Amino acid sequence: MTSIQVPEKEIFRYLGYRGVAPDEQVKDLVQQCVSELQARSQLRSVSRVYPLTFPGENELLVGNEQTDCMHIHSANLYKNMKGCEKAAMFAATIGQGVDLLIRRAEASGAMTAAAVYQAAGAAMVEAWCDEVNRNIIGKEKAEGLYARPRFSPGYGDFALEHQHDFFRMLDITRNTAISLSDTLLMSPSKSVTAIIGLSRQQEPCILQGCEECASRKTCAFRR
Amino acid sequence: MRIAQNVRVPALRYCTLSKFRDFLGKQWLFCDGGTGTVLQSMGLKGGELPETWNLTHPDRIYELYSGYLSAGANIFNTNTFGANRLKYPGDLEDIVRSSVRIAQKARAASGRDDVFIALDIGPTGKLLEPLGDLSFDRAVELFSEVVRFGAEEGADLVLIETMNDTYEAKAAVLAAKENCTLPVCITTTYDENGQLLTGAPVEAVVAMLEGLHVDALGVNCSLGPRQMLPIIERLVQAASVPVIVNPNAGLPRTENGQTVYDVGPEEFAQYMGRIADMGVCVLGGCCGTTPEHIRQTVQTVRAKTFRPPAGRRKTLVTSFSQAVEIGPRPCIIGERINPTGKKKFREALKNNDISYILQQGLQQEDAGADILDVNVGLPEIDEPQMMETVVRRLQGVTGLPLQIDTTNPEALERALRYYNGKALVNSTNGKEEVIREVMPVVAKYGGVLVGLPIDEQGIPETAEGRIRVARKIYDAAREYGIPEEDIVIDGLAMTISSDPAGALTTLETLRRVRDELHGHTILGVSNISFGLPAREVINSFFFAMAIQSGLSLAIINPNNDPMMRAFRASCALLNMDPQCMNFIGAYGSYVAESRRALLSPAAEEAPPVAASEASAHGTGARAAAAAGSASGAMSLQNAVERGMKEAAASATREAISAGRTGLDVINEDLIPALDVVGQGFEKGTLFLPQLLLSAEAAKAAFEVVKETMKGTTQKIKAKVILATVKGDIHDIGKNIVKVMMENYGYEVIDLGKDVAPETIVDTALREDVKLVGLSALMTTTVVNMEDTIRLLRARKPDCKVMVGGAVMTQEYADRIGADFYGKDAMASVRYADSLFA
Repeated sequence: MTSIQVPEKEIFRYLGYRGVAPDEQVKDLVQQCVSELQARSQLRSVSRVYPLTFPGENELLVGNEQTDCMHIHSANLYKNMKGCEKAAMFAATIGQGVDLLIRRAEASGAMTAAAVYQAAGAAMVEAWCDEVNRNIIGKEKAEGLYARPRFSPGYGDFALEHQHDFFRMLDITRNTAISLSDTLLMSPSKSVTAIIGLSRQQEPCILQGCEECASRKTCAFRR
Repeated sequence: MRIAQNVRVPALRYCTLSKFRDFLGKQWLFCDGGTGTVLQSMGLKGGELPETWNLTHPDRIYELYSGYLSAGANIFNTNTFGANRLKYPGDLEDIVRSSVRIAQKARAASGRDDVFIALDIGPTGKLLEPLGDLSFDRAVELFSEVVRFGAEEGADLVLIETMNDTYEAKAAVLAAKENCTLPVCITTTYDENGQLLTGAPVEAVVAMLEGLHVDALGVNCSLGPRQMLPIIERLVQAASVPVIVNPNAGLPRTENGQTVYDVGPEEFAQYMGRIADMGVCVLGGCCGTTPEHIRQTVQTVRAKTFRPPAGRRKTLVTSFSQAVEIGPRPCIIGERINPTGKKKFREALKNNDISYILQQGLQQEDAGADILDVNVGLPEIDEPQMMETVVRRLQGVTGLPLQIDTTNPEALERALRYYNGKALVNSTNGKEEVIREVMPVVAKYGGVLVGLPIDEQGIPETAEGRIRVARKIYDAAREYGIPEEDIVIDGLAMTISSDPAGALTTLETLRRVRDELHGHTILGVSNISFGLPAREVINSFFFAMAIQSGLSLAIINPNNDPMMRAFRASCALLNMDPQCMNFIGAYGSYVAESRRALLSPAAEEAPPVAASEASAHGTGARAAAAAGSASGAMSLQNAVERGMKEAAASATREAISAGRTGLDVINEDLIPALDVVGQGFEKGTLFLPQLLLSAEAAKAAFEVVKETMKGTTQKIKAKVILATVKGDIHDIGKNIVKVMMENYGYEVIDLGKDVAPETIVDTALREDVKLVGLSALMTTTVVNMEDTIRLLRARKPDCKVMVGGAVMTQEYADRIGADFYGKDAMASVRYADSLFA
């Protein structure tokens, strides 16, 4: 996949617009930045499905100890994944183009464009994650499994340190050229890792459900 | 062939001529197959580090090696793919050495004399700066250690593999070359479009690696043999050294969290037979392949007649993302990154104003440059340091290849070392002394070298004399191991105001280099007109003539319209612009000069520039700025409030020429306008893009005011340090604050991103700064913010600290002891004003 639709509404939201439409000047700028971003993005992803077990209260085991696995202690994720028997882990990125464009805009003194690239990149990687997520939903449905909303390390009490598990288990650097810094930052900056619970039981989950997010009361971007 | 290397090579027992080189490119050679697959079948768990088995299960590693040796592989990899100091802080040396020792045992047991132990080197798993957090020097260091251990222990060659970034590949090759004399082979990992994951196409990778004098190169991993075919085709076309192909056993698929591969030994071997027919010399496998895959491949390929590599050679300069071929059509080298005769540029160098230099580069890219010249030589600055900085920063913002233009040997070496690609080097000449200084460096790092036909006798006055010196340069290059296609001869444009036949001599030199030496040429075109009026008239006509005489590279100012017209017209006329597409793209809406006067003044101000380039590369903001200029006269205040950059600048110019002072303009127009927008933002009626557009417009106005106030000391409210803390590598938020603070009269010392606490505190002490702004993006880096604050409190207690960033909250800010939490850029400005205004 080389390109994906980026919803403008989301870009405006990331730029801070609340209930107001931007003026033409800003809309034009957003359109130009999006098409530049489209041209320079390399969409990549990797995903794998693992068995999921619950060794104890708020304890999750993704994978099995014989091959490779991740032990998680998290009340949020425990609640989110209750009743699931498998979990899909994925990583997705839109590539380094967005970072290059931001650096270029900053170097040209075009801070507005830099901010728009930032917002458009964020919206684009979310759209790309939705696409990857939808593929997982479709594939697993055929196996009789229903997907819960995706959950990323660093949200709620799902520790960011689990990034190390994601990178090892999915061989993310080799498969998608995302790298992880010592401080657990991903590069390219517009990259996402997440886990999706898979259950035999169908729940009314929506693709981007934020209900389980512990920071939903403070998060400005919640839906 | 003598490959000069100004490096120390340890005189150890392995420094003998390699037998491997007697085999390579002269007969079929076979690599081994997958390691992970085989080890997993022996019981290696996912997540277990395979290299530890060198110590814990040497018997199984022996079995792994023997399996491939009895399958017929000639080249077998030590089990050191992931062995580096980052993953094995404690026992790296044991792990590397033991793997080579086990390999030696396996080889001895095989009884064969045609097998070679390849010290296997994989990527560090970290991304290099500026994309990631691993420095180039550290990467070289990490690889060097492994090379030293492996070479001392007795490996026969170094095989670097699975590289997906040219910069890391370069670090690994340099590490190998600087720490042993073994042959160095390298395979990289391409996606289905024939690009590395960091964007470099096959041709760029090959050019860079051949410049670094690798013995063989190729492709491995990621794809199966079928998907690799188009990439192999391009590799064989581009490479002059033997090509290696090690595919996976098909595309990976997961089953129950396990990776599986579907191409069996027989099918794999069939494909490998086809691949051998394409001109590949070394064949093996990667993930999913087994000894059986290799055994069948050896059987199939051995039956075929071996063809040595064809050695087609092109002249390419490259960057991390593209290759520019010199030859098919003339290329434009943008000349503006050069202090000669440019007061503003000199000022920028003295003030370490790198962003001004980057802007010069980006403008030229937008105007149509193919390559950027980089000359930062100024007596009063540290040229090697500046050269390194500018090269690193430029390759962070542009994919254009660079021309390193310096007479300082240290600056040249540092530029070429840190350059991510194969650069153009300007220059050597025919003098022995200069050749001895320049050629070894170019031979080591690779590069296309400009040769000036000047020698101890001076500048030859005739074309004949210049050709003679050019031949001398070619001969010297051959001696140093620089291939002839990597030499470009300067035609030496000398002003016709002192030598009326100067242009004729230059043009004849160009023609003879092309026709007699079959080489490429370069010119600093505008030198032809020194001392004459209307220089662009002479220059552009001379440029067209030079192109017809075979000029390959033109050093010009691509912002100069007459020059670009001459260039595009010449290319169209000389059948170097298929279907005149570039010409039409640039001048499709051209208005003839005779008609232009009839049109509106606005149109007159906007001459027909190259529309295609401008829109292809232009950032949105520039287009927005252009929209501003079309709106005609507008009050300054209005222009700033509406974010019209051009209009703001021109309104400021008008105000000043009408007699108002710069200070009046600032106090009566700019500050009130910024306040209106700032308040709108705070109230939530205006949003971030409008705030920033206004900031850009105000900045453009300030620039005009600054020009007029030159010489007078300008008042600043205070000096402020801004930095993104250690460990954080994204800094857009900090940069937004910077723009706002500057507009509000603060001098910002921008320390950039990933800044150590000590650097921040030292700067605060040295510059006696009373306010530091810190940004952090992640909970993991807030720790470093806290450390910075603690250190500031201890050593500079009178300095206030404001903090911001994605994860920051008031509560967090209080907990780490900050004085202020800025929720956005305006809040930071207001806080600073409360301290200083």
